[in-house]
Amino acid sequence: MSWKNKVSILLKKKIVLNLISVISFLIIWDSGVRYGIFGHYMPSPMEVIKELKKIVIEPISGKTLFEHIFYSLRRVMIGFGISLVIGIPAGVLMAGNLYARAIIKPVFELFKPMPPIAWISLAILWFGIGETSKVFIIVIGALVPLIINTYNGIRLVDEELYDVIRTLGGNRRDEIIKVMFPASFPAIFAGMQISLSMAFSTVLAAELVGAREGIGFIIVMGMKLSNSALIIGGMIVIGLVAWLISYGISYTERWVCPWKRDLSS
Amino acid sequence: MANREKKKKMVLNVLPYISVISLFVGWQLVVTLDIIPNVLLASPIQVAKMFIYKLSHAQPDGFVLWVHTVVSLKEALLGYFLALVIGIPLGMLMGWFKPVEGLVGPIFEMLRPMPAIAWIPLTIFWFGIGLTGKVFIIFLSGLVACVINSYTGVKMTNPTLIRMARTYGATNWEIFFKICVPSSLPMVFGGLQVALAACWTTLVAAEMIAADSGLGFMITMGRRLIKTDLIMLGMVMVGLTGVVISVIIDKIETRLIAGVRR
Amino acid sequence: METRSQLLNKPAVECVGVNKIFKGKGYETSVLDNIDLSVANNEFVVILGPGQAGKTTLFRLIAGLHLPTSGQIYVNGKEVKGPGSHVGVVFQRYMVFPWKTVLGNVKMGPQLAGLSKKEQRVKAMHYIELVGLNGFENSYPYQLSGGMKQRVGIARAYANDPEILLMDEPFGQLDAQTRILMEQETVRIWEKEKRTVLFVTNNIDEAIYLGDRIITMEGKLPGRIKKSYQVDLPRPRDYMEQGFLDLRHSIISESKLTL
Repeated sequence: MSWKNKVSILLKKKIVLNLISVISFLIIWDSGVRYGIFGHYMPSPMEVIKELKKIVIEPISGKTLFEHIFYSLRRVMIGFGISLVIGIPAGVLMAGNLYARAIIKPVFELFKPMPPIAWISLAILWFGIGETSKVFIIVIGALVPLIINTYNGIRLVDEELYDVIRTLGGNRRDEIIKVMFPASFPAIFAGMQISLSMAFSTVLAAELVGAREGIGFIIVMGMKLSNSALIIGGMIVIGLVAWLISYGISYTERWVCPWKRDLSS
Repeated sequence: MANREKKKKMVLNVLPYISVISLFVGWQLVVTLDIIPNVLLASPIQVAKMFIYKLSHAQPDGFVLWVHTVVSLKEALLGYFLALVIGIPLGMLMGWFKPVEGLVGPIFEMLRPMPAIAWIPLTIFWFGIGLTGKVFIIFLSGLVACVINSYTGVKMTNPTLIRMARTYGATNWEIFFKICVPSSLPMVFGGLQVALAACWTTLVAAEMIAADSGLGFMITMGRRLIKTDLIMLGMVMVGLTGVVISVIIDKIETRLIAGVRR
Repeated sequence: METRSQLLNKPAVECVGVNKIFKGKGYETSVLDNIDLSVANNEFVVILGPGQAGKTTLFRLIAGLHLPTSGQIYVNGKEVKGPGSHVGVVFQRYMVFPWKTVLGNVKMGPQLAGLSKKEQRVKAMHYIELVGLNGFENSYPYQLSGGMKQRVGIARAYANDPEILLMDEPFGQLDAQTRILMEQETVRIWEKEKRTVLFVTNNIDEAIYLGDRIITMEGKLPGRIKKSYQVDLPRPRDYMEQGFLDLRHSIISESKLTL
């Protein structure tokens, strides 16, 4: 095989293209900065890395990089946890009880179109810039997808499955425990995934608006200090953390729902 | 037996209205009876009054309500349509042509997990507080949903149709335009609402952080001036406007895909 | 082991004057009209009819998933007032629980009946072997083919030790060859562990191959029983033997429909 053929086969391979893409991206970025194309608005990749290394050790506003990450994640976890405790029972209730649905659903629909971030000003007014206001908004943001998915997940369980458990000798309680929950779990889990990513982007927004620590705070500091390397560094950190979280969830899903083949619905 | 059924149905029909009305009544009472201080919560009546006031007065934040709404809408819709115009074709091309997927894919994967909101400070640093910056961020937030949905739509093209086209001797480009694109439309339309919601949310966030007009800005001003009724008016307007655009997009969708099954 | 109905010398399943009317918004549909039906112990009865004949409704009434508008249904001498384990049901769409393994599915009945973990497993494994799914007990339904999933359904219904087995067009979703294979398997399983079976189908060959007796229903609502045919051919039957073809001919010509 001539080398021309080899090259063209190689070029068709996905991994090769991916690598070319990433490397050219970095090269273009670096050259652009070097030749002043971006003016002084853009740091070079090396500068970003250096800045990140710096804040791992030197604290900004009293906290190192990892401490800031910890603050953000803690807020997300607390908010997410609270929304689980409220959201899943609410969804179950709405799906199971017609009266509950008639009461809760209209109110829910009323609040649904309001982006959680719109609540920030009110939350800061009520709770100040501390943890409470952030967790409050995260809960609001995380609740909506959770309730929707739980409600729909339960509603869409194949009715005949209940017939099955009845003819096997099950009673009403068995219907709920042995059929409703396992059958709706994939949908509820999907709701949890969306909810968690909502929580993450909401905490970010809250930290951008007003915070004293957190990853969003790092980025804002970069903006205030006109330190573009810090801004981009912070964004990369956010991207990495978000990616890790989403990877962790996919991994958990494969472990928890081994029967769920990818029927992205 | 039939009577009980009828009664149950009646109760179920009326409950939603009772529920919503009690919410508003309760809200008003909580403020009137001073259970929650007025500084923290404005009553529905106060919000309504502020609404009427803001229709014609630029005080206390600098612009009339209508201006704020138009500014927000302008920024949001511009960014949204930009996301549609670039994102949908991009996603489709990525779904069908391996070279495109290989080259653009990794960059997209890097951008995807990052919430668009994270771009706000950088954008402000680059473009300042004006229209350009806002549109850029909103464009980014809608882009992801559009690309993913059109990508999935193309990937889900019925392989039998593709095989059939090949037996007719169709080229790659012909198959793309005549089969993949049309059959991916339901997925694409499904993504329209998601993208819109993402755009609207990002807009509000961006306006709250750095802006000099717009609904998000109005809310922030309300906080700075400790005018709770202004804050809540802004929140209501954000919600309402979001619903209105969403309904309009839905109507357009229904018109456009009259024959296509969802 | 004598069943209760054997002791009482009563039929295993009996429908007396059963009617079923479904009420909708301002309309009523009579789905079953005056059904009288009697099934003896360990008899394999096939209910044959085209779609929309009311077969599934009759089947659901016997299972207790609906109640008749008037008339009574008795299983083993006791009136059916609701769903329960008095019958074992095999569903057309398999309805295996996707979140449980084959073993988990089959032992669901014994589990609900309160048997010990060991007993559950022993019982379940017995029926998993009976239907020929040995080795697959730890597989999940998504890993199985349609025919295999239905075997799980059969094993699951059997494992609960019902005296009556109800099968509602269980092979309707399978391709023709798998269907024939499953019909043969059904006869094999039934001959090994005899039960009273009520089998619903729209396929005439399937009906003649399987049943001791065939009950035909008309093809329009309200559903009524047309005729009862005794099938005296020895098993295993041959789709092409004379007796088979003769019976086929008479059923078709009397129904004036092609089944």
